[in-house]
Amino acid sequence: MSESAAIEYTKVAEIKGPLIIIDGITKASFDELVEIETSDSTRRLGRVLEVGHGKAVVQVFEGTTGLAISGTKAKFLGKTMAMPVSPELLGRVFDGLGRPNDGLPDPIAEKFLDVNGEPMNPERREYPTSFIQTGVSVIDGMLTLVRGQKLPIFSGSGMPHNILAAQIARQATVVGTKEDFAVVFAAIGVQYSEAQYFKRSLEESGALRRSVLFLNLADDPAIERIITPRVALTVAEYLAFDMGMHVLAILTDMTNYEESLLEISAAREEVPGRKGYPGYLYTDLANNYERAGRIRGKNGSVTQVPILSMPADDITHPIPDLTGYITEGQIVLGRDLFRKGVYPPVNVLMSLSRLMKDGVGEGKTRSDHMEVGNQLYDAYSRAQEVRALAEIVGRSGLTGVDLKYLDAGDMFESHFLKQEKDENRGLEETLSRTWDVLSTLPEGELTKIKEKHVRQYYKETK
Amino acid sequence: MVAKGRIVWVSGPAVRADGMSSAKMYETVEVGESKLIGEVIRLTGDVAFIQVYETTSGLKPGEPVVGTGQPLSVALGPGIIGQIYDGIQRPLSEMAKKSGDFIGRGIATTPIDLKKKYKFIPTVKKGDSITGGSILGTVDETPLLTHSILVPPNHRGGVITNMVGEGDYDLEHVLAETQKDGGYNTELKMYHKWPVRHPRPYTERYDPTVPLVTGQRIIDTYFPIAKGGTGAIPGGFGTGKTVTLHQIAKWADSKVVVYIGCGERGNEMTEVLVEFPHLLDPRSGRPLMERTVLVANTSNMPVAAREASIYTGVTIAEYYRDMGFDTVLVADSTSRWAEALREMSGRLEEMPAEEGYPSYLASRLAEFYERAGRVRSLGLPERSGSVTLIGAVSPSGADFTEPVTTHTIRFIKTFWALDTRLAYSRHYPSINWMLSYSGYLEDVAKWWKEEVSSEWFELRAESYHILQREDTLKEIVRLLGPEALPDEEKLILEVARMLKIGILQQNSFDKVDTYCSPQKQVKLVKLIVRFYKEALKALREGSPLADIRAMPVISSLLKAKFEIPDEEVQRLDGVENGMIEQFKKLQSKEEVKVVV
Amino acid sequence: MSSSSPLERTVDKVLSQKESELISKIDSAYQESLRNLDSSKSKLNSEYMVIIENAKKQAENLKRQIVGSSRLSARNNQLVLIEDSVKTVFEMARKRLLSLHKEPDYEKLMKQALLNSLNEIGKTDLIIECNKTDSGLVRKLVDGINKEKGTKMVAADENVDILGGIRATSSDGTLTYDDSIDSRIERLKPLIRKNIVQILRGSERESWSQKVE
Repeated sequence: MSESAAIEYTKVAEIKGPLIIIDGITKASFDELVEIETSDSTRRLGRVLEVGHGKAVVQVFEGTTGLAISGTKAKFLGKTMAMPVSPELLGRVFDGLGRPNDGLPDPIAEKFLDVNGEPMNPERREYPTSFIQTGVSVIDGMLTLVRGQKLPIFSGSGMPHNILAAQIARQATVVGTKEDFAVVFAAIGVQYSEAQYFKRSLEESGALRRSVLFLNLADDPAIERIITPRVALTVAEYLAFDMGMHVLAILTDMTNYEESLLEISAAREEVPGRKGYPGYLYTDLANNYERAGRIRGKNGSVTQVPILSMPADDITHPIPDLTGYITEGQIVLGRDLFRKGVYPPVNVLMSLSRLMKDGVGEGKTRSDHMEVGNQLYDAYSRAQEVRALAEIVGRSGLTGVDLKYLDAGDMFESHFLKQEKDENRGLEETLSRTWDVLSTLPEGELTKIKEKHVRQYYKETK
Repeated sequence: MVAKGRIVWVSGPAVRADGMSSAKMYETVEVGESKLIGEVIRLTGDVAFIQVYETTSGLKPGEPVVGTGQPLSVALGPGIIGQIYDGIQRPLSEMAKKSGDFIGRGIATTPIDLKKKYKFIPTVKKGDSITGGSILGTVDETPLLTHSILVPPNHRGGVITNMVGEGDYDLEHVLAETQKDGGYNTELKMYHKWPVRHPRPYTERYDPTVPLVTGQRIIDTYFPIAKGGTGAIPGGFGTGKTVTLHQIAKWADSKVVVYIGCGERGNEMTEVLVEFPHLLDPRSGRPLMERTVLVANTSNMPVAAREASIYTGVTIAEYYRDMGFDTVLVADSTSRWAEALREMSGRLEEMPAEEGYPSYLASRLAEFYERAGRVRSLGLPERSGSVTLIGAVSPSGADFTEPVTTHTIRFIKTFWALDTRLAYSRHYPSINWMLSYSGYLEDVAKWWKEEVSSEWFELRAESYHILQREDTLKEIVRLLGPEALPDEEKLILEVARMLKIGILQQNSFDKVDTYCSPQKQVKLVKLIVRFYKEALKALREGSPLADIRAMPVISSLLKAKFEIPDEEVQRLDGVENGMIEQFKKLQSKEEVKVVV
Repeated sequence: MSSSSPLERTVDKVLSQKESELISKIDSAYQESLRNLDSSKSKLNSEYMVIIENAKKQAENLKRQIVGSSRLSARNNQLVLIEDSVKTVFEMARKRLLSLHKEPDYEKLMKQALLNSLNEIGKTDLIIECNKTDSGLVRKLVDGINKEKGTKMVAADENVDILGGIRATSSDGTLTYDDSIDSRIERLKPLIRKNIVQILRGSERESWSQKVE
């Protein structure tokens, strides 16, 4: 905290898009927080993107609508953007910049943390290995979430990603402990109704008092969205590593975040990378997503579930594409299953949890867990191939084994994948269901499972 | 004279400073009051363009910039092995001591412990003449590695006028003094510095002839890479690039492994750090960490240091090569390095080429891969070593026509194409056997023939042929269904399935399957090829395909990879005998039918 | 027994047939109704169980919700109360600061503020604003510094409504340096609030523990 007075500049040289360029700058630093006062004395916040040769380029979070070249004042605050943190943030609702949005006073800060955070030293990280039970079969059985992991949901417009995220937030438990997760929820440019659904869901399950909400809604300023995930993750890190809590951070929808980034890049006339997105998109995303994990010798953890809608359901679009390269897997929702009325409509073949191998197995869940997960993928993938084939050649052109795979595929969807929005399945039940599906196949097809596990769990058909 | 200037402009990792007319290109500089580390990357008049290796938040015009007179260099000496460095050779453990769990700024560290003492055994004596690159003596760096103390390669030679005896010395101790006509006198220590952007020189280059054995069946048997060779592994996300690279780093029969996590996940570096000390080298039985160096510049660490990390890593690999060792450098991922290049280029407002990458992307990639090779080292005694370079490529949208992939392909000889479709069906490693290739196949055939099996080349060709035929048959199946094929072709499909499951798929997370010895590889392939021949014979003699498919030996063949460990490879003979028995039974059944 | 006519025999036969048919029908109907009763009983039972189960779940949810939200609203009320006290403290502080100019060090402080403004803005021709009480002092200090340093500061004609301190603006109006007491309070507010709360909470806890005793 700088305690010396700040200089206020009034010489605005240019306003373009979300940026204002101020002239005659004598003292300003890169990334400094700026307070902008409009001619009608309202205040907005911004930060320095570039400074030098007497000029500063400032990005205005609330947008530049209504700003004028004359009468606009900019005050450089001598600090980077910081979020006040204290345990009493729990149960509070903030706007996209971290200011109270629930009619309550400003939080009384234990300390102020730079919203950009600092990179966690890889040498200090603790490798994530603790299984989180979500009560959702497809996740627990095949896409296991691990404490400290970042596992996004790739979705498309209209699909129930927020319902699934809310279900995870309500049901998540670390097996073997009674500990509940603290939930940090960042709504980034989502509709009021969606944010409300989430809030109500937390309220109804009594989880609101261990939650912190940041809401930037669809009609809130777009540039604010650059900050929303950052303040949310700053609080998540504080709760995890200062307060020792297990935190589940849900960020929805990161696609809106990227659109804002794109807007700024365009205003700065930067050379675009792929498909018009800025070349630093990967690094920028990573700076958010990498704020998940555990630290050696510390109790807490940050587990991240970012949600992003894929434009036109296209997984090769730069946003899901780059996200997939950074996160530790992805849960992909499929339009076909959604149309069929399957909830959760998880397209398992495109989904993956990279850390599953470390979170399951003997001593953590059950020794056959990883193998059955893999075998289910294999079986369902084969079933999908056979389905495609059956459409061309008809069932009569299929071999006997192929027909078994068709059955396994149907059973997979109806008996394993599908479940109720408030159904909380235990791990044993989930694994038992995997064997129900696999037992429709001849034993010889289970090539990914060790003999002893087949003998133990395979269910002979009566 | 050391340059002293002032910052005039800041934008992210890019800084401009004036008053820098005495600065040199690629000189390391201290930026700002908190002394952030930077490197001069362009000079225009008295303005220097600097890329800063640390976060520049809070940096402002007017703050000082001071040159160091030195190009970006690494310190080379005992103590490197087992370390985890950031992109500019700062040990992450040291940084944690100074700034805690999160990486702070302006932290000064020493890359190797200069106070640590090693037992030095000299191999030269007073009066001997030395040249650049010669070996002065040895120290045991780890139980796995005897480290040769090298005269710096750019040393102009001379006669040793003073030499210490055998004993314990720290790194700063002067081991030898040399003299040369014309007053070129030097003092030699246990370590020296070398600029990362300059390849270390050697005497002569050789053709690669020995395969790098990785224990990964699809690599060793189908698409081998030679020691001193180059390889790239492109793949979309989720295709298992990192897992494959980890496998190579773990099991490759190389003396030193340099693993560069370049703009990738923090947890992946942690995984290596957690796992490697517990994994034992299958050849020496020692922990893998005793031969591994990690360079970690994760995706959220400053982007400029990511650009440097590749050079830091390859210089370390070359240093161990110069001792006469085989070294492997694994870079995950070169695409993130290219993006760092793009970001800096963009900030410098250079004219962009494809997808915003700078026009010099191709030449930078070429320069990097050119640092691979098997060479005769400088100086005495005569010895040779190698640097094998393997780079992951992360093409956007899994599109292999994007610039980093297309340029990389021009400079590498082994190409392991990862396939999203295979990954989706959990076929790992998801290396596509129709798209991948190896330019070293002929070069390493001799080694396989002499060291492992005279049949390797033929078995490889026969089994690969089955896979190729399956690939064409698949098209027909897609249109007409499998029942439309004649039995002999259905058999091809069945055997191809066996090859895919029993050979090509390999489970990195299974204790047995994670590493497969060359002997076991050949034997497994041989079994399936033999199965094919016997089955074809049986089919032609009238056995129904359904009976062949129902043979219990198939399941044993498919599970042999993880049910039979390397040490018990002879158990495969039992499987083979069982197979022959079953075929005999099949035949006698036929004969019974004929008699009836 | 008289021999019955064939007709009677036939009638008899038909009758007895009908009778047994009827009996069996009645019997089966009876059995069926029993079965129905049974099944509806068990159905009822299971439905009853479902209802009970649901009600339990709902009750559990409601309980959690009520407990959660009541605790939360209690906490929130507390936050509001604390904020009210903080506001009161600030109001009192403001009143006290109105007489700040009577402090012996005030002149020193004002001089330092003027020197800072020269330094920060980096120009010499500044317009200095202050409140009415301070205007005499500011004029005196400005003249003094101008003489001493050769600067061209001017005290503004109009006074501004601040608690104390100064506001300096470059003569072209592009740069302002606000070193009023008001802006100092603003800047220090988060820290002061924390201190106030600590004091409040401390006393609060004390009073609670006293009550317990």
